[in-house]
Amino acid sequence: MLLRSCACLLSLLAWLDVAPAAGKLLLRITAGPLPPANSIGVNEVVLQWPVRDAASLATLRALGFHVFLEAGSNDLVAAANAAEGANLAGVIVEHTGSDAAANRETFRATKATHPKLLFRLLISGGKQPQMRGRLVVDRGGILQVSSPSSQPWLDTNLAVVRLAETFRPDEKPALYDFHWDLSDAVHKEHGPSVNEYALAISEADAIRADVIVDVPESLQKALVANQPTAWTLWNQVKQYIAFSPAAEDGMRPIANMGIVTCDDQTNFEAVNLLARHNLTFETLGPQDLNAERLNRWNALAVFCAARNPEIGLFNDFAKNGGMVVVVNQRGDYPWHSAPPARQDEHSATFTVGSGEIVELREPVIDPEAFARDLRRLIGAERSALSLWNSLTTLVTGYRQESTGETTINVINYADLPDNVQVQIKGRFRSVQLETPEVGCCVALQSVERGGFTEFTIPRLVVAARVHLKSADIGPAMR
Amino acid sequence: MHWNRFLLTASLIFSVFLQAPEVSSQTTPIVYKKRYAMGTVFELVAYGDSAERTSSAIDQALDEVVRLDNVMSNFKPQSDLSRMNREAHFHAVRIPTDLYQVIETSLAYSRLSEGEFDVSVGPVVDLWKAALAGGATPTAAQLAQARSCIGYEKIELIAPDQIEFHSDCMRLDLGSIGKGYAVDRALAILRSNGIERAYIDAGGSTIYGLGTPPDRDGWLVHLRDPSNRLDPQVKLISNSVSTSEQTAASTLAGDAPGHIVVPGSGKPLSSRYAVSVTAKSATTSDALSTTLLLLGPEKGSTLVSRLKGVTAIWVSADGQKTIAGSETNIVVRNSGAQAAAASVDHVALPKEKKD
Repeated sequence: MLLRSCACLLSLLAWLDVAPAAGKLLLRITAGPLPPANSIGVNEVVLQWPVRDAASLATLRALGFHVFLEAGSNDLVAAANAAEGANLAGVIVEHTGSDAAANRETFRATKATHPKLLFRLLISGGKQPQMRGRLVVDRGGILQVSSPSSQPWLDTNLAVVRLAETFRPDEKPALYDFHWDLSDAVHKEHGPSVNEYALAISEADAIRADVIVDVPESLQKALVANQPTAWTLWNQVKQYIAFSPAAEDGMRPIANMGIVTCDDQTNFEAVNLLARHNLTFETLGPQDLNAERLNRWNALAVFCAARNPEIGLFNDFAKNGGMVVVVNQRGDYPWHSAPPARQDEHSATFTVGSGEIVELREPVIDPEAFARDLRRLIGAERSALSLWNSLTTLVTGYRQESTGETTINVINYADLPDNVQVQIKGRFRSVQLETPEVGCCVALQSVERGGFTEFTIPRLVVAARVHLKSADIGPAMR
Repeated sequence: MHWNRFLLTASLIFSVFLQAPEVSSQTTPIVYKKRYAMGTVFELVAYGDSAERTSSAIDQALDEVVRLDNVMSNFKPQSDLSRMNREAHFHAVRIPTDLYQVIETSLAYSRLSEGEFDVSVGPVVDLWKAALAGGATPTAAQLAQARSCIGYEKIELIAPDQIEFHSDCMRLDLGSIGKGYAVDRALAILRSNGIERAYIDAGGSTIYGLGTPPDRDGWLVHLRDPSNRLDPQVKLISNSVSTSEQTAASTLAGDAPGHIVVPGSGKPLSSRYAVSVTAKSATTSDALSTTLLLLGPEKGSTLVSRLKGVTAIWVSADGQKTIAGSETNIVVRNSGAQAAAASVDHVALPKEKKD
C-alpha cells in the first residue's frame, strides 16, 4: 500500500514537473560488514548480485541498513527473488542488452511480482564528478588522450540526469552511479579523497538526483577495524552527507531555456556542454511542448523534427520576444515568408515579431562552440541565473512558484576554494548562505542591478546553498 | 593576455595531445595531479622511484603555479598585477621579482616582434571580450580610446624591481606569457626534487616534456591541425610546445569577435592558421605562439630564423602548412594520400622532415 502510494506520488510529481526530494547517497560495497548505519551516516547500501557472502545481507540489515541488490536485466528476476527471500529493501536494475522493449517488460513484470520490494532503474552514462583535465592515466599506467574538448573545466552528471528525467519520468528522482578513477599510484594506495567524496555527494544534491558511490574494500575494512585515518576521512565525508538532506518538494528548476530533443542519446554532448556552461535549461520531448511551458522561457533550442503544431508554437514564441534555435531541420516554415535578416553558409536568422528564429543548417559539430554561441545569443540580460569567472563551478537553482522562494546550489569542482559571483534575475529581500563548513545561515550582501540580484559566495570550498526570499512573486524569466 | 573566462575560450582550440607511451609502469610509479590556476587546468604527470616523493614534488610544483596566479592574475583584484595596474599610472611601484621578470621578457619579445607581441593590449582585448560574452560590438570611438592606452614603449622598468606606466589608462595583461612562465617555474621545482621524467600541460596551450617517458625516446605530442589532414607531431625531450589559434567564428551568429587582437588595429585577428612553436623554455614558446600567429607564416618564418632552438609550424584550415626553425623536431605524419590536396605554401629553413 505504501509502495503504491509512493508510486502515485512519483507519478504526480512527474506530472507536475517539479523536482521531488532527492540527493540521496547510496553506498556500493563488495561484501562484508560496515560499521552501523547511524555511525556511517548513510542508510542505503548496494551489493552486486550474485552476492559473494549471502550471510552478510542479514548482518547489514542488523546494522541498520536498507540493502539493495544490483543486477542487470538478465539477472533481474533472480535478484528480485533473492532480495525478497532475504527481506531486503529492493533491487537496482541496470538495463543491459539491446532489447529495450524486453527490458521494460521484464522490469514491469518483476515489479508486479514483488510488490514489497522497491525497484529503481540505474541510469547509464554517469561519470565521476571532477574538475576536467585532458589527460587520462589508465589502469595499466599508460597515458592516454582525453577529449580535445576542454573548458568549462568540469565533468558533471547534470545533463545525463536531466535527460533521464525527461525520458523516464516515472523514475524520478533519477539514480546514477560512476566508478572512481584510481589509476595513478597515489590514488591506488589511498583511494578517493575527502574532496572527491564531497563533490560526488554535493553534486547529487545540486542536481536533485540520487547517486551510488563505491566504497573501496580497503576503506570498508579500515572503518570496521576502527582505523583512525579511515574514520578521520569518513567523518569529514559525513559533513557533506549531513549537508545533503532531501531537498524541498515542490520546487521547479530555474531555467530560461527549453531544449526539445527526441531522445537522451542523439544530442547528448550538445546538452552536456550547455550544462557545463551553466546555461539553465529544461529538456523535453516534442510531445510535451505547449504554450504554458514555453511561457517559462525566453529561449528554445530544437534538436528534433518539428510538426505543424509545434512549428506554430515556435513562431508565436518568437513573436513574443523569444529566441528559437532550430538545429539541422529542413522544412517550409511560416517565418520563411520574409527573407532572413542574416545568413551565411552555416545559419540563417529570421526576425519574427520582437524575437528571432535561427536555423542552424548543419548538426552541432562542435558542442563547445555551440554552447558558447548560444550563450552569446541569449545574452546576459536574458539569463535567469549565471556565474562570473567560474569555469570550474556548477550552479543550479530551484524556485517555489507560489512564493518565489528560491534555492541556489553552487558546486566547486576545483580543489581550491574560490570566490563565486552569482547573478540571478529578480529582486530578493533576503539572501542567506548555507555551507557544510558553517551551516545555516549567513546573510550575504547583495546588490540589485538592472532587474538582477548579484552576490558573491566567499571561499566556496565544495558546496553551498543560497536561500533567497523574493521581493516579487511570479515568473520573471522573460 | 588574461587567464580569465575569455582567454580560456582559446584553450579548447589548442588540441595538442599526448600520444600514449606504453611505459614500464609496473616498475616506475606514475603520479598524476591537476590543479585549476590561471583560468585553466594545469596537469602534471611524473615518474619517480617513490610515489610519495613524486606526489610531494608535484604538489610543490602546483603550489608554485597557484602562487604565480596570485601574482599575475588580472582578474583577482588583490593580485600584484592588479595592484600594479591600479597604481603604476601615478608613480613607480615596486613589484615582485616574478612579475618583473615576466614583464622584462615580454618587453624583449615586443621589441623583437616590433610590437606584434604587446602585453599592454589589455584595454582593447577587454572590449572584444565583452562582445564575445554577449555584449555590444565596440564602437570606433571606444576602440580609439582604448588604443590610445596601449603601447609597450610606454612601460618603463626601473631595475631591479620597479615599474611605471607613461599612460594614464594602461593596463597589462600577461595571459600570453604567464602560463609559460608558470610551467617553467613548476619544471624547476620538479627538477629540484630530483624528478627527471615529467609532463606538464597548461590547459593544452603550453606543454613541457621533461626527459623522456620510460622506454620511449620522447613525449610525442600531436599538434593542432585545423584541417584534420596533416597530423603534425613533435617529440618533446626537455623542451616545450605552445599553440595559438584565433577563436572560431560563430556558426549561429555569423562572425564572432575573437580573443586575439591585433595591437596595431585594435581589431580581432583574422587568421586561418593555427600555429605551434617549440622552444627550450615554456616562457619562450608561449610568448612566441601568439606573436607568430599575429605575424603569419611569411613574416613569422623570418623571425623564427633569427632565433636559436625555436621551430614553428603554421597549419591552415585547408591543409596548407609552413614549417620554420633551426631544428627539425616537428614532423607531419600524414603527408601522403590525405595530405596530397594540401600544398606547402612556404617552407623556411630547414626543410620539413617527412616520415
